[in-house]
Amino acid sequence: MIKHIFKLIWNKRRSNALILIEIFLAFLVLFAVLSYVIYNMRMLSAPLGFETKDKWMVYLDDLSSKDSLEVLEMKNTLHRELLNLDNIESVSYTENINPYSGNQSRTGGDAMGFNISSLLAFVDSDFANALDMNVVQGRWFQEEDLNSTYPSIILNQAFIDEYFGGKNMIDSMLLFRGEHKVIGVVDAFRYLGEFSENQPHAFYQVPRHSKEANNLVLGMAPNTPAAYEEKVNNLISDITKSSSFIIKNIDQMKKSDSRDTWIPLIALLSICGFLCINVALGLFGVLWYNINKRRGEIGLRRAVGAHSSDISKQFIFEILILTFIAVFLGIFFAIQVPLLKIGPLEPINMYYAIAISTGIILTLVTLCALHPSWQASKLHPATALHED
Amino acid sequence: MIQLENVSKVYRTKTIETTALNEINLTISEGEFVSIMGPSGCGKSTLLNVIGLLDEPTEGKITVAGESVQNYNSKATSKFRNQKLGFIFQSFHLIPDLSVIDNVELPLLYRNVSAKERKELSAAALESVGLKNRMDHFPSQLSGGQKQRVAIARAIVGNPAILLADEPTGNLDSHMGNEVMDILLKLNQEQNTTIVMVTHDENMAKRTNRLLRLYDGSQVA
Ligand SMILES: Nc1ncnc2c1ncn2[C@@H]1O[C@H](COP(=O)(O)OP(=O)(O)OP(=O)(O)O)[C@@H](O)[C@H]1O
Ligand SMILES: [Mg+2]
Repeated sequence: MIKHIFKLIWNKRRSNALILIEIFLAFLVLFAVLSYVIYNMRMLSAPLGFETKDKWMVYLDDLSSKDSLEVLEMKNTLHRELLNLDNIESVSYTENINPYSGNQSRTGGDAMGFNISSLLAFVDSDFANALDMNVVQGRWFQEEDLNSTYPSIILNQAFIDEYFGGKNMIDSMLLFRGEHKVIGVVDAFRYLGEFSENQPHAFYQVPRHSKEANNLVLGMAPNTPAAYEEKVNNLISDITKSSSFIIKNIDQMKKSDSRDTWIPLIALLSICGFLCINVALGLFGVLWYNINKRRGEIGLRRAVGAHSSDISKQFIFEILILTFIAVFLGIFFAIQVPLLKIGPLEPINMYYAIAISTGIILTLVTLCALHPSWQASKLHPATALHED
Repeated sequence: MIQLENVSKVYRTKTIETTALNEINLTISEGEFVSIMGPSGCGKSTLLNVIGLLDEPTEGKITVAGESVQNYNSKATSKFRNQKLGFIFQSFHLIPDLSVIDNVELPLLYRNVSAKERKELSAAALESVGLKNRMDHFPSQLSGGQKQRVAIARAIVGNPAILLADEPTGNLDSHMGNEVMDILLKLNQEQNTTIVMVTHDENMAKRTNRLLRLYDGSQVA
């Protein structure tokens, strides 16, 4: 029977070619869109490495022109007084951390004998605590580390994986912007966005009172209301004698940053949805038309002994075989992209996309074929034969 | 071989009721060649469809080859059509997308017959209608008479006990019609196939064993 169906398909190759091309192109479009969507979804679901809920940032004025002693005094007072507030659980001074701002600090070097490129952050000993980061090996900075022989450095797992094959680097010396001792590893620190890649990242310690460390990360008590900002604002303004600092909610920064990715993502998915609906309607129409054109054939087959289920099976097989050919061709072309390492995406995303596209196309075609085929099988043989 | 007792067929639509067959009583013995005549719309095709289990009678009893086929379920009906019956139609009903031999082997496809045997049997059937050399042609490449001979080959390839032919010569000129008729007569005589044939042609009817006349769904002779 399968051979018979292949014969039918082959003998009708002209009209079948159109259906085949339609399915093939739909597959390729789905593959492309899904690769992109899956890439982003995988990024979205990967750990950020820190909390954003109830975390606030404060950007103080530039302190570099001020007197060092005054700055020291002021920063100590600010640290103490902020911690005294009921809703503030932790306070950290950092240099240039700007989550979700698009700004990044990055450097490269080859002092180790090979090229290292990494994101950088200059933070104090409270930073991990203030952002609830996950230290997976070793420990975070302590104030005493500032006095040790070698300055400390903390890396993220991606750094270790990328440059040291994932081996244990605790207590090893790292030549990267000077000689540093690795004291800890965090799982991730994806502060460039929810959809950003997990890139190598290095943390350097700065003293709390450093003039450059003019940003604050505040770990707030759970569910601190937005109105609490006024209290924080008044306190900071009293102590710094300034009003031009900025307070921002990290969670909100994350959301507005993510919107830039969500919008094209949803637009693409909608286009894909419309494409699927279009392909489905087209297929449904073609199948419907074909089956109506073949009423005589259906009647004849029934007369020579086909059961009604043979009829529906035949029509479903016909379209499924055609679909398998189209999808096979689609996979053949699509798989070249990861195999030849074309494009910016990791292959795994495209393998997922191929699997899901195949699933969608097969489901779509089966759904479109079911009703017309069932209709064909219900056709009364005497009526079908009568019409020609 | 075929027995109809008080068989009636009524088509009901929303507005009208058509009595296509009205209490037909009929017995056709094995090996008989019966022709049916009557004006258009008198129920000839309906009678053939009812005998061929393509349509169910509204009332009455049908026995074919000693079996009361009415009580068959749909699977058994299909199987019966496949093994015991052969159909020939006025409009041939060849599948345009299949070659001649693939058209002929169609009934065998719904039996468990191997591809090799299908091919052999189909070639033999085509030979018996004189079309072995056209095996790989497509229906569109054949004349009307050739098409009907292919249809006959298809009807006999499964070696059925009964052939039901609805105006097999209706679309053919008299020369080709006679050719087809010769084949049917030969089948009837050599294979002892029971044949029921609807025709409009008195000359064709004269060559059969028995003539049945229908008028408005009733048997008049
Ligand atoms: N499916 C149907 N629904 C309703 N009425 C039908 C149906 N099939 C046939 N009829 C009616 O039943 C009657 C008998 O039809 P049938 O086709 O048996 O005639 P016929 O003798 O074969 O005519 P012809 O010589 O033109 O082929 C006609 O009046 C026809 O209109
Ligand atoms: Mg008729």
